[in-house]
Order: sequence, then structure tokens, then C-alpha cells
Amino acid sequence: MSTHTGTARLIRFILRRDRVRLAVWVVGLAGVVIASASSLPPLYPDQQSIDQYALLFGDNPALVAFAGPGYGFDDPNLGVILVNETQLWACIAAALMSIFLVNRHTRAEEDDERADLLRSNVVGRHAPVTAAVVVVVGANAVLAAVCAVAFVALGYATVGSVALAGSIGLTGLAFTAITVVAAQIASGGRAALGLASAFLGAAFVIRAVGDIAGSWVRWLSPIGWAQGLRAFAGEQWWPLGLCLVFVAGMFWLARVLFDRRDLGSGILTQRAGRPRARRWLTSPIGLAVRLQRGTILGWTAATFIVGLVYGSIGESIEEMVADNPTFADVLAQQGGADITASFFATCMSQIALLAAGFAISAALRPRSEEVAGRAEQVLAMPLSRTAWVGSHLLVAAVGTVVVIGAGGLGVGISYATVSSDVNQITRMLGAAMATLPAVLVLGGLAVALFGASLRLSLIAWAGLAVTVLVQFFGELLQLPGWAMSLSPLQHVPGLPAEDLEVVPLLALSLVAVTLAAVGVGSLRARDVAA
Amino acid sequence: MSPVVHAAGLVKTFGPTRALDGLDLDVTSGEVHGFLGPNGSGKTVTIKIILGLLRPDGGEVRLLDRDPWHDAVDLHRRLAYVPGDTNLWPTLTGGETIDLLGSLRGGLDPTRRDELVARFALDPEKKARAYSKGNRQKVALIAALASGADLLVLDEPTAGLDPLMEAVFQEYILEAKDRGCTVLLSSHILAEVEKLCDRVTIIRQGRTVQSGTLAELRHLTRTTIEVETRQPATELAQHPGVNDLQVDDGRVRFDVDGEHLDDVIGRLASLGVVSLTSHPPTLEELFMRHYGEAPLEDVDDRERREAVRRPGGARS
Repeated sequence: MSTHTGTARLIRFILRRDRVRLAVWVVGLAGVVIASASSLPPLYPDQQSIDQYALLFGDNPALVAFAGPGYGFDDPNLGVILVNETQLWACIAAALMSIFLVNRHTRAEEDDERADLLRSNVVGRHAPVTAAVVVVVGANAVLAAVCAVAFVALGYATVGSVALAGSIGLTGLAFTAITVVAAQIASGGRAALGLASAFLGAAFVIRAVGDIAGSWVRWLSPIGWAQGLRAFAGEQWWPLGLCLVFVAGMFWLARVLFDRRDLGSGILTQRAGRPRARRWLTSPIGLAVRLQRGTILGWTAATFIVGLVYGSIGESIEEMVADNPTFADVLAQQGGADITASFFATCMSQIALLAAGFAISAALRPRSEEVAGRAEQVLAMPLSRTAWVGSHLLVAAVGTVVVIGAGGLGVGISYATVSSDVNQITRMLGAAMATLPAVLVLGGLAVALFGASLRLSLIAWAGLAVTVLVQFFGELLQLPGWAMSLSPLQHVPGLPAEDLEVVPLLALSLVAVTLAAVGVGSLRARDVAA
Repeated sequence: MSPVVHAAGLVKTFGPTRALDGLDLDVTSGEVHGFLGPNGSGKTVTIKIILGLLRPDGGEVRLLDRDPWHDAVDLHRRLAYVPGDTNLWPTLTGGETIDLLGSLRGGLDPTRRDELVARFALDPEKKARAYSKGNRQKVALIAALASGADLLVLDEPTAGLDPLMEAVFQEYILEAKDRGCTVLLSSHILAEVEKLCDRVTIIRQGRTVQSGTLAELRHLTRTTIEVETRQPATELAQHPGVNDLQVDDGRVRFDVDGEHLDDVIGRLASLGVVSLTSHPPTLEELFMRHYGEAPLEDVDDRERREAVRRPGGARS
């Protein structure tokens, strides 16, 4: 009997179990990318408008950080614009899809001891992992194929279309492999998710640094390989080989690690813990802090590092404007907007989106407690539901402040260093904090949904997806005003580029508090999961 | 005196499923009350209603003469609950979890906690992730038993415990009872219920089918008798209340309904008893009679038939 016996059946099982989830990921991602691709031809109907775009965006370090190296801007075509507008974010989304799906079917299964049940059947040792990998690689392949066909159908050059779609699928593939390894190393499903996401964050930052500096450093990042295919800009295929070698290596490593560890425990083993609880743990808030501590630290480190990277770029933007009279002219024509300030405003909304990811997951922490059956034990204590969920929400809110603050502080510290202006620290911290009410609205939405029902509460993530969509693609897709206004971040002033307005911030805070209160109120009225 | 737990005509539906369908349960102060029923019969749902975690769709429920949904927090000060499937926080150690649960309940006696940890042989330094089902169960049990609550609500608390630990558990329940503690014990383990419980309630498909002291319930069931008589006793097969009579080399073996026991013994005496052994019905037999003899769909019919027949006499 082979160690892969039963793989085919497990693949069918995963497809059955996740048919909705897989479809939402693939169709949703392909939909946004294809909609963006179809919106470009009418926006840039002739070579002159394409050249204009290249003039505005090519070599602009501010945009390089958020878009990519900008291959092909010296001799631009519509495909170059498509790459610049969609590639980086589509690659990140494909990576996230792969991370979530692989972890869900490997390490998270072990935590719930469902893996033991499967493995006790006529199922080979490696079959569950292989099945998960096959399904996720398949999802990436379908995503890439659909995108490629759509690009060609929309009139983009065939080779470039394949290279762009391939770069998205390739990133998904690379992170499939990375997550399989993370699942072997980490001590549990949550930790594996964190480890793989940290890899993604690092990959993003490394390529941003590499692209801005024009350095070989970008080749250390799987996203750098994807962009290195140079879609629509004289395609080169050797990064494909590099990626495939990396993926093969990671799969081999995962197999070696898998064979060395026991099901349910990681390579990083558990130490013995305390036989008694310290005093602070033994209150509802202490428990919430203890449960969310790791997540808060992880997200805080993430936004801080992202902030440091962005802050360090700030100075080179002004240099570039000074060195480039054409660019300065273009800016002047646009009303003399302060490009550095708008760059930082964009940074802040990105930090806010990261923080919203934290805020939603932290606000839904009571949901995981309920689903896992731990809430019933706590609620059988003399502790009201309001106090229980309130402790978690207090920790979530304070955590959100810390996560956003760390991002603003990161930007401020590194920009203050490169610009030798200490005042930038408070300025950037303040600018980051101005996004807090918008982030809390998304967290509040999660609470309201959780209060209504366990099932509905995952819609909170759709709230984040809509916000991301509006922030990154809203203008490109020419979304109508009402659709744009669905993003709470559209309602906060874009500090430091715009002036501080207090009214919208207060209004958003009120919305956030109301949503949370509604959620707590309806939680008190519903059944706890039986 | 008003009962500690009083439920009458409880109904709870989950979509199309009718989990509770007019369930009655009364637990009086100071007793250990066994709560029996097959899987999915509604034991856990009932307990969660008593704890105010679920709201019933119909019927009446009182806990210590108060509304368990409305007064949940206050009522929980007086009870300790052990879930049937204990889920713990994977990153907390067993010791931390016991202290946490204890202090949420309003503090626990540290000496008693240490004694319980030792008696249940729990390693409190291990993270809950590493515990087996039995060890997770011990954590919840220790936290509950160390609490000094006057009502223990235990949902299949010994599932996963080895026989040694089961014995320790029984010892502590009897001790709690001596202290005047009321215990609601849902269980599958009939030996445990027979040993611990003063009264039992048996439910099936969300409805109470029988409730009373073990003696009362036994009265309703059959005693097994093996007897050797001078004159052949085979004619007893026709006697009212005698079931499943088997003849084996001069000895007969049969079951007799509780209400006919006196009669049958009288007849046996007149036949000249040489030797006689009898044993009372076990709870297991009681249980089997309610659940074991027919597929669930048919039980209702069978019971109805039986109810009609019983006054008439023996089943063939």
C-alpha cells in the first residue's frame, strides 16, 4: 500500500466540502481582475493616452512600492498598464487564497482531530496533504487559465496575457508550497496561518525594497519572480524555472518534515507551561488578552515593518520630483498636489486595511470561542454575555489602536530619520490614527453580524473585501458614487495630504459603536451554539 | 420544598428537528438525579436550557425557582457545570484553565484544588492541546468539584475516564451529596447511575418516558428467577407475568413482572422449592426495555401493544 492511497477520493471530498468556498475565491478573484482588464481599453483608447499614463506612473517610486517595478514604461502598451494596475494585488490575493485553503485542509484539520479520523481509514500517510495541494494548485491553475483566456478575448497580446495570468497562478503555487512547509513547522493551525502570512508580508516588502532600489534583492521574493516574467514588456521565462525549482524544493522539505513529526504536533514543540494561572489571567479580560496576545503582537510587528519601509521611501519621492522637471510639470498641472503627502495618505489607508484585517479577526474571536464549544463553559459561569463579549471587544479595540499606531509610528520613525525632522513622528502617527474610526466600523460590522448569527458573521470579511476593492480598484473600475461610499475609508480625510475633519471621524465612530451595541444586544437574545 | 430543577413540557426545535418534545424533569434538593437517554435524545439540549444557554420554544423551566434564561448570571454563582465534550483553550495549561474557570466562578479552594489534581493524577503543566479527551474531562471536573457549588450539572462527565478515575469521580460525587449538594448527572454508564443516583429520569426522542426512584422503576420491571422444584414447574409458563420460561434439566429460568412476583413465589412454594436464585432487574435491563428491543420507529407501537397486553398476562 502506497503512502498516497486514497488521494483521489480525498480530492473529491475536498471539492465537495469546499465547493462554495473554492468557487467564491476563484470567481471573485478572476472577476475583479477581468473587470479591471475590461475597463482599461476605453480609458486609454490611443497611444497618446497610454504614453501619458507611463509619464505619470513610470519610475515613480511611490507607485513602484504599491504596483511593481514598472517594466515596459519606456515603450508602453495597454498591457503594461494592466500589469501595473492589477498584477501585484492579484498575486497577493492568489497567495492568500492558497495560504487559507492549504492550511484549512492540512494543519487546521489536525487541530480538530479530524485528520486522525481520516488517517485511520484506508488512507495513505501523505494522501491528505497531497490532496489539499492538488486542489489548491488546481484552483490557481483554473484562476490563471480563466484570466488568460479573458485577457486574450479582451484584445490583449497573447504572450503577455499568458505571462500575466501565469504570474498570478505562479504566486499562488509558490505560497501553496510555503504554507505546506509552514504547516509542518508550526505548533498549530493558527500559528501555521500566521507563519505563512508573515512569509507573504516579507515577500511583499522584499520586492518593494528591491524594486525601488532596482536591486537583485527582488529575486528573493516569490512575488518578484512573478513580476520578473515581464508580461507585455519583453517576456522572459527564466523566473518561471526559478519558481518551479523553489516549489519542488519546498514540497520536498515539507515531506521530510512531515515524516519527522507526529500528527498533531509541529517541529516547534510545546514546552511545559505553568501549573497555576497568574493572577491577571483569571478574569474575563485577562483571558481575552491571553487569547489575543499573539495575534496582536504579530499584526503590530507587521504594520510597524510595513510602516518603516514606506517611511524610508518618503524622501526619495521628493528627490525624484526635484530631478525630474517633466514630472514636476505634470504635478503642477494637477494643481500642485504634494506628492509626498499623497503617498503617505495612501500608505495610511494601506495600514488601515491591514489593521481592519486584525480588527475583524479580533472581533470575531468570540465567534471562534463559541464554535469551538469553549464559550458555553465560560457562559455557564456567573458571567453575563455582555461581560464576556465585552472583554473580547475591549481587547480587540485596544489591539486595533496598537496595530494602527505601530504602522503610523513605523512610517514616522523612518521618515523622520531620512528627512531629519523629528516632528514627522507625531504627524504620521496622527495621520494613521485618523483612519481608526473607519477600521472600527468594519470591526463593528463583524460584531453586529456575530450577534445576529454564527453563520452570518463571516460576511464581515466581505465587508473588508468590498473596502479593499473600492480602495484599490474603485477608480479604475469607475464604480458609481454609492458603491465607492461603501468603503468606510472613503469617509476619513486622507491625512497627511488633506486637512483633518472631525465630523466624519465622529460620525464613523458613532456608527462603529452602534453596530457593536446592536451586535451585543442581539447576542443576548439568541441561543448559544449547542 | 420547591425542586431545584423543574421543567414541564419543554419544547425546543432546531429548524425542522424537534429536539425536545414536551420533556419533564424534576430534581429535588440534595439528591443525585440520573438523567438517562440514548444519543440524540435531548439530554444536552435540556441541560443547556437549564443553564440559560438556549431558550426553550415552549414549556416551563425553573432553576432554583428562577428563570434560567433571565437570571443566568445569578444562578450560575450557585452551580458548576461540566460539559460532555470539554473543549479547552489549546494554549493554556490544565492548571491555568482550572484556576481560570475557578476564579470566573468566584474563586476556588486552593487546597482542595491541589488534592483533586493529585487524586485525578492530572499533569497541570501540560498545554490543553496535548491532553487526551479523558484529561480534558478531568480539568473540567476538577474545576467544578473544587468550586463548592451547591448544584453540580454534569453532562456525561466520565466519558473518556478510565475505571480508576471513574471510581475517584464516584467518591467525590458521594462526598458532595453528603455535603448536601444536588447533582444532575446525565450518563450512559448505568453502573455509575445505579451506584450514585437516588432518582432517575429516562428520556427518549425529547420526551420523558419514566421518572422515579430506582426502586420504583425496578418495581415496574422483571426479576430473573432460576429455580429447581420437586414437581415440574413448566406450567408456570402460563402464569400471568411470567416471561421467557426455559426448562433445563429440571431447572427452570424465567423473568417475572414486578407486580406478579408475590403470586409466582406463592405458586413456587406449593411446588416444593429445592433451590432458588434470583436477581433484581439491573438498570441495564430497564434501559434495554425502553430502547433495545425494537428499532426506534417501532417502539411506540410496541409499547402501546404491551400496555394493552400487560394487564391481560404473559407475552408468549
